[in-house]
Amino acid sequence: MNTLNLLYQGASKVFVAGLVFGAGLPFVYALALRVLTIGSTSYADANGEIHSTPRMSSRLFAGLLIAVVVAGIIVGLMIIVATGFGKEVSFEHLYPTIVEKSK
Amino acid sequence: MDAANITLVLVIVTALAFDFTNGFHDTANAMAASISTGALKPKVAVGLSAVLNLVGAFLSVQVALTVTNAVINLQAKDGAPKAELVANGGESILLIILAGLAGGILWNLFTWLLGLPSSSSHALLGGLTGATAAGLGLAGVKWTGDGTKLDGVVGKILLPSLISPIIAIIVAFTGCWLVHKVTQSVMHRLEERYFRYGQVGSASLVSIAHGTNDAQKTMGVMTLALIASGHWTSTTSIPVWVKVSAATAIAAGTYLGGWRIIRTLGKGLVDITPRQGMSSDGATAAVLLSASHLGFALSTTHVATGSVLGGGLGRGTPVRWSTAGRMATAWATTFPIAALVGALMWWIGNLVGGAAGALLVFAILVGASTWIFRNSRRERVSAENVNDEWDRAAEITSPAFEHAPVTHAGAPADPDAEPRDTAEPTETKTH
Repeated sequence: MNTLNLLYQGASKVFVAGLVFGAGLPFVYALALRVLTIGSTSYADANGEIHSTPRMSSRLFAGLLIAVVVAGIIVGLMIIVATGFGKEVSFEHLYPTIVEKSK
Repeated sequence: MDAANITLVLVIVTALAFDFTNGFHDTANAMAASISTGALKPKVAVGLSAVLNLVGAFLSVQVALTVTNAVINLQAKDGAPKAELVANGGESILLIILAGLAGGILWNLFTWLLGLPSSSSHALLGGLTGATAAGLGLAGVKWTGDGTKLDGVVGKILLPSLISPIIAIIVAFTGCWLVHKVTQSVMHRLEERYFRYGQVGSASLVSIAHGTNDAQKTMGVMTLALIASGHWTSTTSIPVWVKVSAATAIAAGTYLGGWRIIRTLGKGLVDITPRQGMSSDGATAAVLLSASHLGFALSTTHVATGSVLGGGLGRGTPVRWSTAGRMATAWATTFPIAALVGALMWWIGNLVGGAAGALLVFAILVGASTWIFRNSRRERVSAENVNDEWDRAAEITSPAFEHAPVTHAGAPADPDAEPRDTAEPTETKTH
């Protein structure tokens, strides 16, 4: 029974983190692309390629959203590097830092 | 050279061979979706993945010496082999490792022949568990942990393999649904290439993580063999040549590309669009890295396959459940069959004994691998035809053995498939 309990604890954490980052970041990225189309003028040329010129405010907001995605990727890279060095990533200062393993 | 030294050389060669199969078996996990959606050309995809695997492998500074401790009792807590096993130049432990690696390699090659993704880590640990059970009895196998953490065959292999595809399916499904919800009203105004960028980004993360995790395992096994035979003493560092050779072997394997498996995962299971591909790859990367951060062992293969499935379901794209069923069967049988082969190899090696026994095990491995390779040439899958339409008729009529169908240019597309958002790169279909 204890094993199942441990499994539940481990798996539920992975599930929540996976959902937040794995579904959340693609969503934020798609949102950025969506924002860029607001108020933009776009047309397809003879080759079917799409050209659009987004508004400045759309660009800024989209840039902010992309920054969130980039931050997520950086955290991912930090986790990989930390694993390689036998360390772990800590979020105790809000921003992630690589620290010695607590266990 | 005495028996132990000959066995050691064979162990090192076999370990590098396993690492190589580990590379090409798992290329699909990172790159299958990017290849099938056309985000990357097949050769570019495996090249990128190979370079990132190499980078990842060199990032593994930590010594994964205790990798076998999850399932068997060959080593003490600090990673040193148990004293009773290192007598006689470590011959007994070397034969166990050799037989175990042979079991892992043969299962990897066999599933590759069938074009089925299966966990390389499970194959390795399965082979080693079987060889240990044969050599030391069932007492040598760790079935469950001590109750403080998930451990043993049940906690590290069985349960995670049941739960990880489910997590990945739900995450990818949700991601795919959200991405479509937010972009569907402006679908025609968005360029597919932006989704492809997202896809390549996540696939790259998966590749680096794979290099870091999986190369570490082979390095650990090689170092264990060196310690057991008295050629290395430190349990906190590994020889530089071990690191360089293991990193090179996994990258070379990745570059070779397991096209049969890439084809099954990218085309055979469900045919996805760049939007779905981005959601799938994002889910794979996030679930793997979260699990890695939280210390919860998951198999990359199970997560990647679950994500592709979830990405397909998120849009209601038809899934070939027969392919999914075959994959599930391969997963369930990976550990036990690799164990069985590992045990068999140990018995053969032990029966003959000494250097001759080890050489016989190695010869059987080479012979069986050659046989599998020759069979794979009958219906080749390569960078040229990896993206061809999946021919349903061939899938039903041909025996599972010769499956991974190579279809013909102009074969009718799956009638149930929804129209793809984008045209396939045509150069992959001409041959």
